[in-house]
Amino acid sequence: MWRDICIWLAETATIFNKEWRTELRTRYALNTVGLFAFTTLVTTTIALGPAGISEPARPFVVVLLWMILLFAASAGLPRTFVHEEESRTAMALRLMARPSSLFCGKALYNLVLIFSLELLVAPLYIGVMQLPIGSMRHFVLALLVGGFGLALGSTLTAAMVAQAEAKGPLFAVLAFPILLPLLKFAIDATLAATADQSLLIARGEVALTLGILYDGTLMVAALMLFPAIWNP
Amino acid sequence: MKKTLPWLLWTWLSAVILAAFFYAPISAGFAGLAGDSPQSSRIVFFHVPMAVTSFIAFLVAAWWSVVYLRRRTPEADRASAAAVEVGIVFCVLATVTGAVWAQVQWGDFWNWDPRQTSIALAIVFYAAYLTLRSAIEDPETKARISAAYCALGFFVAPFLFFILPRMASFSLHPKPASAEFEWRILIVVLGGIIGYSGLFFWMHRLRCRSLAIEERLMESFDDDR
Repeated sequence: MWRDICIWLAETATIFNKEWRTELRTRYALNTVGLFAFTTLVTTTIALGPAGISEPARPFVVVLLWMILLFAASAGLPRTFVHEEESRTAMALRLMARPSSLFCGKALYNLVLIFSLELLVAPLYIGVMQLPIGSMRHFVLALLVGGFGLALGSTLTAAMVAQAEAKGPLFAVLAFPILLPLLKFAIDATLAATADQSLLIARGEVALTLGILYDGTLMVAALMLFPAIWNP
Repeated sequence: MKKTLPWLLWTWLSAVILAAFFYAPISAGFAGLAGDSPQSSRIVFFHVPMAVTSFIAFLVAAWWSVVYLRRRTPEADRASAAAVEVGIVFCVLATVTGAVWAQVQWGDFWNWDPRQTSIALAIVFYAAYLTLRSAIEDPETKARISAAYCALGFFVAPFLFFILPRMASFSLHPKPASAEFEWRILIVVLGGIIGYSGLFFWMHRLRCRSLAIEERLMESFDDDR
Protein backbone atom coordinates (compact mmCIF):
# COMPACT_ATOMS: atom_id res chain seq x y z
CA MET A 1 0.00 0.00 0.00
CA TRP A 2 2.65 2.57 1.12
CA ARG A 3 4.97 1.37 -1.61
CA ASP A 4 2.23 1.99 -4.23
CA ILE A 5 1.60 5.47 -2.88
CA CYS A 6 5.34 6.24 -2.95
CA ILE A 7 5.63 5.00 -6.55
CA TRP A 8 2.58 7.04 -7.53
CA LEU A 9 4.02 10.17 -5.92
CA ALA A 10 7.40 9.60 -7.56
CA GLU A 11 5.75 9.21 -10.98
CA THR A 12 3.70 12.38 -10.46
CA ALA A 13 6.81 14.31 -9.39
CA THR A 14 8.74 13.00 -12.43
CA ILE A 15 5.98 14.13 -14.81
CA PHE A 16 5.83 17.54 -13.08
CA ASN A 17 9.62 17.97 -13.35
CA LYS A 18 9.62 16.82 -16.97
CA GLU A 19 6.90 19.35 -17.83
CA TRP A 20 8.89 22.21 -16.30
CA ARG A 21 12.15 21.08 -17.92
CA THR A 22 10.44 20.95 -21.34
CA GLU A 23 8.77 24.28 -20.69
CA LEU A 24 11.98 26.04 -19.61
CA ARG A 25 13.65 24.83 -22.81
CA THR A 26 11.18 26.68 -25.05
CA ARG A 27 9.27 28.92 -22.57
CA TYR A 28 6.28 28.63 -24.92
CA ALA A 29 3.49 28.55 -22.32
CA LEU A 30 5.20 31.04 -19.99
CA ASN A 31 5.67 33.60 -22.78
CA THR A 32 2.23 33.06 -24.30
CA VAL A 33 0.33 33.22 -21.01
CA GLY A 34 2.37 36.14 -19.64
CA LEU A 35 2.26 38.25 -22.78
CA PHE A 36 -1.42 37.53 -23.39
CA ALA A 37 -2.28 38.56 -19.83
CA PHE A 38 -0.14 41.70 -20.06
CA THR A 39 -1.63 42.74 -23.42
CA THR A 40 -5.23 42.26 -22.27
CA LEU A 41 -4.47 44.07 -19.00
CA VAL A 42 -3.07 47.07 -20.87
CA THR A 43 -5.96 47.05 -23.35
CA THR A 44 -8.51 46.94 -20.52
CA THR A 45 -6.80 49.79 -18.68
CA ILE A 46 -6.64 51.95 -21.80
CA ALA A 47 -10.30 51.18 -22.63
CA LEU A 48 -11.64 51.89 -19.12
CA GLY A 49 -9.28 54.73 -18.25
CA PRO A 50 -6.77 55.15 -15.44
CA ALA A 51 -9.01 57.20 -13.13
CA GLY A 52 -10.29 54.24 -11.16
CA ILE A 53 -13.78 52.80 -11.19
CA SER A 54 -17.16 53.88 -9.94
CA GLU A 55 -19.29 51.54 -7.81
CA PRO A 56 -21.74 50.59 -10.63
CA ALA A 57 -18.78 49.54 -12.81
CA ARG A 58 -17.31 47.19 -10.15
CA PRO A 59 -19.02 44.00 -11.47
CA PHE A 60 -17.70 44.67 -15.00
CA VAL A 61 -14.18 45.11 -13.70
CA VAL A 62 -14.37 41.83 -11.74
CA VAL A 63 -15.76 39.99 -14.80
CA LEU A 64 -12.94 41.44 -16.92
CA LEU A 65 -10.34 40.13 -14.44
CA TRP A 66 -11.68 36.59 -14.89
CA MET A 67 -11.90 37.03 -18.67
CA ILE A 68 -8.21 37.97 -18.72
CA LEU A 69 -7.34 34.90 -16.61
CA LEU A 70 -9.55 32.56 -18.70
CA PHE A 71 -8.25 33.66 -22.08
CA ALA A 72 -4.63 33.82 -20.93
CA ALA A 73 -5.00 30.24 -19.65
CA SER A 74 -6.70 29.20 -22.92
CA ALA A 75 -3.75 30.60 -24.86
CA GLY A 76 -1.06 28.58 -23.06
CA LEU A 77 -2.61 25.51 -21.48
CA PRO A 78 -3.90 23.59 -24.56
CA ARG A 79 -0.25 22.68 -25.33
CA THR A 80 -0.22 20.30 -22.35
CA PHE A 81 -0.57 17.03 -24.29
CA VAL A 82 -0.10 18.34 -27.81
CA HIS A 83 3.70 18.37 -27.48
CA GLU A 84 3.82 14.59 -26.82
CA GLU A 85 1.41 13.81 -29.67
CA GLU A 86 3.37 15.98 -32.14
CA SER A 87 6.78 14.68 -31.15
CA ARG A 88 5.42 11.09 -31.10
CA THR A 89 6.56 10.49 -27.53
CA ALA A 90 3.06 9.86 -26.17
CA MET A 91 3.59 6.09 -26.23
CA ALA A 92 6.72 6.41 -24.07
CA LEU A 93 4.72 8.45 -21.60
CA ARG A 94 1.97 5.80 -21.60
CA LEU A 95 4.53 3.14 -20.74
CA MET A 96 6.35 5.21 -18.16
CA ALA A 97 3.53 6.38 -15.88
CA ARG A 98 0.09 5.24 -14.85
CA PRO A 99 -2.71 7.52 -16.14
CA SER A 100 -3.67 8.97 -12.74
CA SER A 101 -0.12 10.08 -11.90
CA LEU A 102 0.34 11.41 -15.43
CA PHE A 103 -2.85 13.47 -15.15
CA CYS A 104 -1.95 14.75 -11.68
CA GLY A 105 1.60 15.67 -12.77
CA LYS A 106 0.30 17.60 -15.79
CA ALA A 107 -2.53 19.21 -13.79
CA LEU A 108 -0.03 20.24 -11.09
CA TYR A 109 2.16 21.89 -13.75
CA ASN A 110 -0.87 23.78 -15.12
CA LEU A 111 -1.88 24.68 -11.57
CA VAL A 112 1.52 26.27 -10.86
CA LEU A 113 1.28 28.11 -14.19
CA ILE A 114 -2.21 29.45 -13.39
CA PHE A 115 -1.32 30.43 -9.82
CA SER A 116 1.79 32.26 -11.08
CA LEU A 117 -0.39 34.04 -13.61
CA GLU A 118 -2.86 35.03 -10.90
CA LEU A 119 -0.01 36.17 -8.65
CA LEU A 120 1.24 38.40 -11.46
CA VAL A 121 -2.05 39.69 -12.84
CA ALA A 122 -4.28 40.13 -9.77
CA PRO A 123 -2.13 42.66 -7.82
CA LEU A 124 -1.38 44.60 -11.02
CA TYR A 125 -5.07 44.65 -11.91
CA ILE A 126 -6.16 45.73 -8.43
CA GLY A 127 -3.57 48.52 -8.46
CA VAL A 128 -4.22 49.77 -11.97
CA MET A 129 -8.02 49.58 -11.77
CA GLN A 130 -8.10 50.75 -8.13
CA LEU A 131 -10.40 47.84 -7.34
CA PRO A 132 -11.41 47.96 -3.66
CA ILE A 133 -10.99 44.67 -1.74
CA GLY A 134 -13.43 44.26 1.15
CA SER A 135 -12.19 40.87 2.26
CA MET A 136 -8.69 39.85 1.13
CA ARG A 137 -9.20 36.30 2.50
CA HIS A 138 -12.26 35.76 0.29
CA PHE A 139 -10.52 37.34 -2.70
CA VAL A 140 -7.52 34.99 -2.40
CA LEU A 141 -9.83 31.99 -1.86
CA ALA A 142 -11.84 32.91 -4.99
CA LEU A 143 -8.61 33.06 -7.02
CA LEU A 144 -7.44 29.70 -5.61
CA VAL A 145 -10.76 27.92 -6.24
CA GLY A 146 -11.14 29.44 -9.73
CA GLY A 147 -7.51 28.72 -10.62
CA PHE A 148 -7.72 25.11 -9.43
CA GLY A 149 -10.80 24.46 -11.59
CA LEU A 150 -9.27 26.26 -14.59
CA ALA A 151 -6.15 24.06 -14.36
CA LEU A 152 -8.14 20.81 -13.97
CA GLY A 153 -10.68 21.58 -16.71
CA SER A 154 -7.96 22.76 -19.10
CA THR A 155 -5.78 19.69 -18.50
CA LEU A 156 -8.69 17.32 -19.15
CA THR A 157 -9.82 19.21 -22.26
CA ALA A 158 -6.23 19.42 -23.55
CA ALA A 159 -5.94 15.62 -23.27
CA MET A 160 -9.01 15.22 -25.52
CA VAL A 161 -8.03 17.95 -27.97
CA ALA A 162 -4.48 16.56 -28.39
CA GLN A 163 -5.91 13.57 -30.27
CA ALA A 164 -8.08 15.64 -32.64
CA GLU A 165 -7.56 17.90 -35.66
CA ALA A 166 -7.86 21.73 -35.42
CA LYS A 167 -6.64 21.70 -31.82
CA GLY A 168 -6.66 25.45 -31.10
CA PRO A 169 -10.27 26.32 -31.95
CA LEU A 170 -11.51 22.97 -30.60
CA PHE A 171 -10.01 23.65 -27.15
CA ALA A 172 -12.09 26.81 -26.79
CA VAL A 173 -15.24 25.03 -28.03
CA LEU A 174 -14.85 22.10 -25.60
CA ALA A 175 -13.50 23.99 -22.57
CA PHE A 176 -16.02 26.85 -22.57
CA PRO A 177 -19.11 24.87 -21.42
CA ILE A 178 -17.03 22.94 -18.85
CA LEU A 179 -15.42 26.03 -17.34
CA LEU A 180 -18.39 28.39 -17.44
CA PRO A 181 -20.18 27.14 -14.27
CA LEU A 182 -16.86 27.44 -12.43
CA LEU A 183 -16.31 30.97 -13.76
CA LYS A 184 -19.79 31.94 -12.56
CA PHE A 185 -18.93 30.72 -9.02
CA ALA A 186 -15.51 32.41 -9.10
CA ILE A 187 -16.93 35.72 -10.37
CA ASP A 188 -19.67 35.70 -7.72
CA ALA A 189 -17.12 34.97 -4.98
CA THR A 190 -14.74 37.69 -6.25
CA LEU A 191 -17.61 40.19 -6.48
CA ALA A 192 -18.53 39.46 -2.87
CA ALA A 193 -14.89 39.83 -1.80
CA THR A 194 -14.64 43.27 -3.41
CA ALA A 195 -17.74 44.49 -1.57
CA ASP A 196 -17.47 45.31 2.09
CA GLN A 197 -20.96 44.10 3.01
CA SER A 198 -21.68 41.11 5.23
CA LEU A 199 -24.72 40.03 3.15
CA LEU A 200 -22.66 39.92 -0.05
CA ILE A 201 -19.80 38.14 1.74
CA ALA A 202 -22.31 35.45 2.81
CA ARG A 203 -23.41 35.07 -0.85
CA GLY A 204 -19.77 34.86 -1.80
CA GLU A 205 -19.23 32.04 0.67
CA VAL A 206 -22.06 30.08 -0.99
CA ALA A 207 -20.40 30.67 -4.37
CA LEU A 208 -17.03 29.58 -2.93
CA THR A 209 -18.57 26.38 -1.52
CA LEU A 210 -20.17 25.62 -4.90
CA GLY A 211 -16.85 26.35 -6.58
CA ILE A 212 -15.07 23.87 -4.29
CA LEU A 213 -17.85 21.34 -5.04
CA TYR A 214 -17.37 21.90 -8.77
CA ASP A 215 -13.59 21.52 -8.46
CA GLY A 216 -14.11 18.25 -6.55
CA THR A 217 -16.55 17.02 -9.19
CA LEU A 218 -14.09 17.88 -11.97
CA MET A 219 -11.30 16.09 -10.10
CA VAL A 220 -13.37 12.91 -9.66
CA ALA A 221 -14.56 13.03 -13.29
CA ALA A 222 -11.02 13.61 -14.54
CA LEU A 223 -9.52 10.71 -12.56
CA MET A 224 -12.32 8.41 -13.74
CA LEU A 225 -12.27 9.43 -17.41
CA PHE A 226 -8.61 10.19 -18.06
CA PRO A 227 -7.50 6.53 -18.36
CA ALA A 228 -10.10 6.07 -21.13
CA ILE A 229 -8.98 9.25 -22.89
CA TRP A 230 -5.29 8.47 -22.65
CA ASN A 231 -5.11 4.72 -23.34
CA PRO A 232 -6.19 3.50 -26.80
CA MET B 1 -45.57 -5.60 -32.72
CA LYS B 2 -42.84 -3.49 -34.38
CA LYS B 3 -45.44 -1.89 -36.67
CA THR B 4 -48.00 -1.41 -33.89
CA LEU B 5 -45.69 0.55 -31.58
CA PRO B 6 -45.28 3.64 -33.85
CA TRP B 7 -49.05 3.73 -34.34
CA LEU B 8 -49.61 3.55 -30.60
CA LEU B 9 -47.10 6.37 -30.16
CA TRP B 10 -48.77 8.58 -32.77
CA THR B 11 -52.20 7.93 -31.21
CA TRP B 12 -50.85 8.79 -27.73
CA LEU B 13 -49.17 12.00 -28.97
CA SER B 14 -52.31 13.05 -30.91
CA ALA B 15 -54.38 12.51 -27.76
CA VAL B 16 -51.91 14.58 -25.70
CA ILE B 17 -51.97 17.45 -28.23
CA LEU B 18 -55.79 17.40 -28.37
CA ALA B 19 -55.96 17.25 -24.56
CA ALA B 20 -53.57 20.22 -24.32
CA PHE B 21 -56.05 22.36 -26.25
CA PHE B 22 -59.48 20.93 -25.37
CA TYR B 23 -59.23 19.01 -22.07
CA ALA B 24 -56.76 20.81 -19.82
CA PRO B 25 -57.86 24.13 -18.33
CA ILE B 26 -55.66 27.20 -18.33
CA SER B 27 -53.51 27.32 -15.21
CA ALA B 28 -54.64 30.23 -13.04
CA GLY B 29 -51.05 31.03 -12.10
CA PHE B 30 -49.71 30.96 -15.65
CA ALA B 31 -52.75 32.76 -17.12
CA GLY B 32 -52.09 35.61 -14.70
CA LEU B 33 -48.50 35.77 -15.92
CA ALA B 34 -49.57 35.69 -19.57
CA GLY B 35 -51.51 38.97 -19.25
CA ASP B 36 -53.78 39.59 -22.25
CA SER B 37 -53.10 36.17 -23.84
CA PRO B 38 -54.00 33.50 -21.27
CA GLN B 39 -54.32 30.86 -24.04
CA SER B 40 -50.58 31.21 -24.67
CA SER B 41 -49.94 29.50 -21.32
CA ARG B 42 -50.90 26.22 -23.05
CA ILE B 43 -47.36 26.18 -24.39
CA VAL B 44 -46.45 24.64 -21.03
CA PHE B 45 -47.87 21.32 -22.38
CA PHE B 46 -45.15 21.32 -25.06
CA HIS B 47 -42.28 23.24 -23.44
CA VAL B 48 -42.02 21.25 -20.18
CA PRO B 49 -42.24 17.73 -21.75
CA MET B 50 -39.64 18.70 -24.39
CA ALA B 51 -37.24 20.04 -21.75
CA VAL B 52 -37.67 16.88 -19.66
CA THR B 53 -37.24 14.68 -22.77
CA SER B 54 -34.01 16.46 -23.70
CA PHE B 55 -32.69 15.81 -20.19
CA ILE B 56 -33.65 12.11 -20.54
CA ALA B 57 -31.89 12.04 -23.93
CA PHE B 58 -28.66 13.40 -22.45
CA LEU B 59 -28.87 10.87 -19.61
CA VAL B 60 -29.28 8.09 -22.20
CA ALA B 61 -26.27 9.49 -24.09
CA ALA B 62 -24.16 9.48 -20.92
CA TRP B 63 -25.30 5.92 -20.12
CA TRP B 64 -24.29 4.63 -23.58
CA SER B 65 -20.97 6.50 -23.32
CA VAL B 66 -20.17 4.70 -20.08
CA VAL B 67 -21.22 1.41 -21.74
CA TYR B 68 -18.84 2.21 -24.62
CA LEU B 69 -15.96 2.99 -22.24
CA ARG B 70 -16.48 -0.38 -20.53
CA ARG B 71 -17.17 -2.62 -23.55
CA ARG B 72 -15.78 -0.63 -26.53
CA THR B 73 -18.53 -1.76 -28.92
CA PRO B 74 -19.45 0.38 -31.96
CA GLU B 75 -23.18 -0.10 -31.14
CA ALA B 76 -22.75 1.75 -27.85
CA ASP B 77 -20.89 4.59 -29.60
CA ARG B 78 -23.66 4.90 -32.20
CA ALA B 79 -26.34 4.84 -29.47
CA SER B 80 -24.58 7.62 -27.55
CA ALA B 81 -24.09 9.82 -30.64
CA ALA B 82 -27.70 9.24 -31.75
CA ALA B 83 -29.02 10.16 -28.28
CA VAL B 84 -27.07 13.44 -28.33
CA GLU B 85 -28.28 14.31 -31.84
CA VAL B 86 -31.95 13.65 -31.04
CA GLY B 87 -31.53 15.23 -27.59
CA ILE B 88 -30.27 18.46 -29.16
CA VAL B 89 -33.40 18.56 -31.36
CA PHE B 90 -35.62 18.34 -28.25
CA CYS B 91 -33.44 20.85 -26.40
CA VAL B 92 -33.72 23.34 -29.28
CA LEU B 93 -37.51 22.78 -29.40
CA ALA B 94 -37.73 23.40 -25.63
CA THR B 95 -35.69 26.59 -26.09
CA VAL B 96 -37.86 27.80 -28.98
CA THR B 97 -41.15 27.09 -27.17
CA GLY B 98 -39.70 28.81 -24.10
CA ALA B 99 -38.68 31.81 -26.20
CA VAL B 100 -42.19 32.07 -27.69
CA TRP B 101 -43.62 32.08 -24.15
CA ALA B 102 -40.99 34.66 -23.11
CA GLN B 103 -42.09 36.95 -25.93
CA VAL B 104 -45.70 36.82 -24.72
CA GLN B 105 -44.89 37.10 -21.04
CA TRP B 106 -41.77 39.29 -20.87
CA GLY B 107 -42.03 41.09 -24.22
CA ASP B 108 -38.81 39.68 -25.62
CA PHE B 109 -37.77 36.32 -27.08
CA TRP B 110 -34.46 36.24 -25.20
CA ASN B 111 -33.76 37.84 -21.81
CA TRP B 112 -30.68 35.97 -20.56
CA ASP B 113 -32.81 34.64 -17.74
CA PRO B 114 -30.80 32.04 -15.69
CA ARG B 115 -32.87 29.18 -17.12
CA GLN B 116 -32.48 30.43 -20.69
CA THR B 117 -28.75 30.77 -20.11
CA SER B 118 -28.39 27.27 -18.69
CA ILE B 119 -30.35 25.62 -21.54
CA ALA B 120 -28.24 27.58 -24.06
CA LEU B 121 -25.11 26.28 -22.31
CA ALA B 122 -26.45 22.71 -22.47
CA ILE B 123 -26.93 23.12 -26.24
CA VAL B 124 -23.38 24.51 -26.55
CA PHE B 125 -21.99 21.55 -24.54
CA TYR B 126 -23.63 18.92 -26.73
CA ALA B 127 -22.94 20.87 -29.95
CA ALA B 128 -19.28 20.82 -28.83
CA TYR B 129 -19.61 17.02 -28.51
CA LEU B 130 -20.71 16.82 -32.17
CA THR B 131 -17.87 19.17 -33.19
CA LEU B 132 -15.41 16.93 -31.34
CA ARG B 133 -16.71 13.89 -33.23
CA SER B 134 -16.28 15.63 -36.56
CA ALA B 135 -12.71 16.69 -35.63
CA ILE B 136 -11.38 13.14 -35.19
CA GLU B 137 -10.97 10.82 -38.18
CA ASP B 138 -9.97 7.50 -36.64
CA PRO B 139 -13.26 5.73 -35.65
CA GLU B 140 -11.85 4.16 -32.44
CA THR B 141 -10.27 7.41 -31.20
CA LYS B 142 -13.42 9.33 -32.14
CA ALA B 143 -15.65 6.94 -30.18
CA ARG B 144 -13.34 6.85 -27.14
CA ILE B 145 -12.72 10.59 -26.79
CA SER B 146 -16.30 11.59 -27.51
CA ALA B 147 -17.60 8.97 -25.04
CA ALA B 148 -15.35 10.50 -22.35
CA TYR B 149 -16.60 14.02 -23.16
CA CYS B 150 -20.22 12.86 -23.12
CA ALA B 151 -19.71 11.08 -19.79
CA LEU B 152 -18.18 14.32 -18.47
CA GLY B 153 -21.54 15.90 -19.35
CA PHE B 154 -23.11 13.65 -16.73
CA PHE B 155 -20.98 15.42 -14.09
CA VAL B 156 -21.47 18.95 -15.49
CA ALA B 157 -25.22 18.67 -16.29
CA PRO B 158 -26.50 18.91 -12.66
CA PHE B 159 -24.65 22.23 -12.29
CA LEU B 160 -26.04 23.52 -15.60
CA PHE B 161 -29.63 22.32 -15.14
CA PHE B 162 -30.16 22.59 -11.37
CA ILE B 163 -27.57 24.70 -9.52
CA LEU B 164 -26.82 27.66 -11.84
CA PRO B 165 -30.50 28.59 -12.45
CA ARG B 166 -31.17 28.52 -8.69
CA MET B 167 -28.13 30.65 -7.83
CA ALA B 168 -29.59 33.79 -9.42
CA SER B 169 -31.24 36.16 -6.96
CA PHE B 170 -33.90 36.97 -9.56
CA SER B 171 -35.49 34.91 -12.33
CA LEU B 172 -38.45 35.67 -14.58
CA HIS B 173 -39.00 31.97 -15.26
CA PRO B 174 -42.17 30.69 -13.55
CA LYS B 175 -41.50 28.19 -10.77
CA PRO B 176 -43.74 25.10 -10.65
CA ALA B 177 -44.59 25.91 -7.03
CA SER B 178 -45.79 29.41 -7.95
CA ALA B 179 -48.33 28.14 -10.50
CA GLU B 180 -51.61 26.66 -9.42
CA PHE B 181 -51.57 23.24 -11.07
CA GLU B 182 -54.89 21.50 -11.37
CA TRP B 183 -54.72 17.69 -11.62
CA ARG B 184 -55.93 17.78 -15.27
CA ILE B 185 -52.94 19.97 -16.16
CA LEU B 186 -50.57 17.59 -14.40
CA ILE B 187 -52.09 14.60 -16.27
CA VAL B 188 -51.57 16.29 -19.67
CA VAL B 189 -48.00 17.39 -18.80
CA LEU B 190 -47.19 13.86 -17.59
CA GLY B 191 -48.84 12.41 -20.71
CA GLY B 192 -46.69 14.77 -22.78
CA ILE B 193 -43.52 13.66 -21.00
CA ILE B 194 -44.39 9.98 -21.65
CA GLY B 195 -45.35 10.71 -25.27
CA TYR B 196 -42.31 12.82 -26.18
CA SER B 197 -39.98 10.41 -24.37
CA GLY B 198 -41.52 7.59 -26.45
CA LEU B 199 -40.96 9.72 -29.55
CA PHE B 200 -37.34 10.23 -28.48
CA PHE B 201 -36.73 6.47 -28.07
CA TRP B 202 -38.37 5.78 -31.47
CA MET B 203 -36.26 8.48 -33.20
CA HIS B 204 -33.18 7.26 -31.34
CA ARG B 205 -33.68 3.71 -32.64
CA LEU B 206 -34.11 4.99 -36.20
CA ARG B 207 -30.99 7.17 -35.94
CA CYS B 208 -28.94 4.25 -34.56
CA ARG B 209 -29.98 2.17 -37.55
CA SER B 210 -29.19 4.94 -40.04
CA LEU B 211 -25.77 5.51 -38.41
CA ALA B 212 -25.05 1.76 -38.72
CA ILE B 213 -25.99 1.88 -42.42
CA GLU B 214 -23.80 5.00 -42.92
CA GLU B 215 -20.84 3.19 -41.32
CA ARG B 216 -21.35 0.09 -43.47
CA LEU B 217 -21.53 2.25 -46.61
CA MET B 218 -18.32 4.06 -45.63
CA GLU B 219 -16.58 0.72 -45.03
CA SER B 220 -17.65 -0.69 -48.40
CA PHE B 221 -16.58 2.60 -50.05
CA ASP B 222 -13.14 2.28 -48.41
CA ASP B 223 -12.90 -1.39 -49.51
CA ASP B 224 -13.70 -0.43 -53.13
CA ARG B 225 -10.92 2.14 -53.09
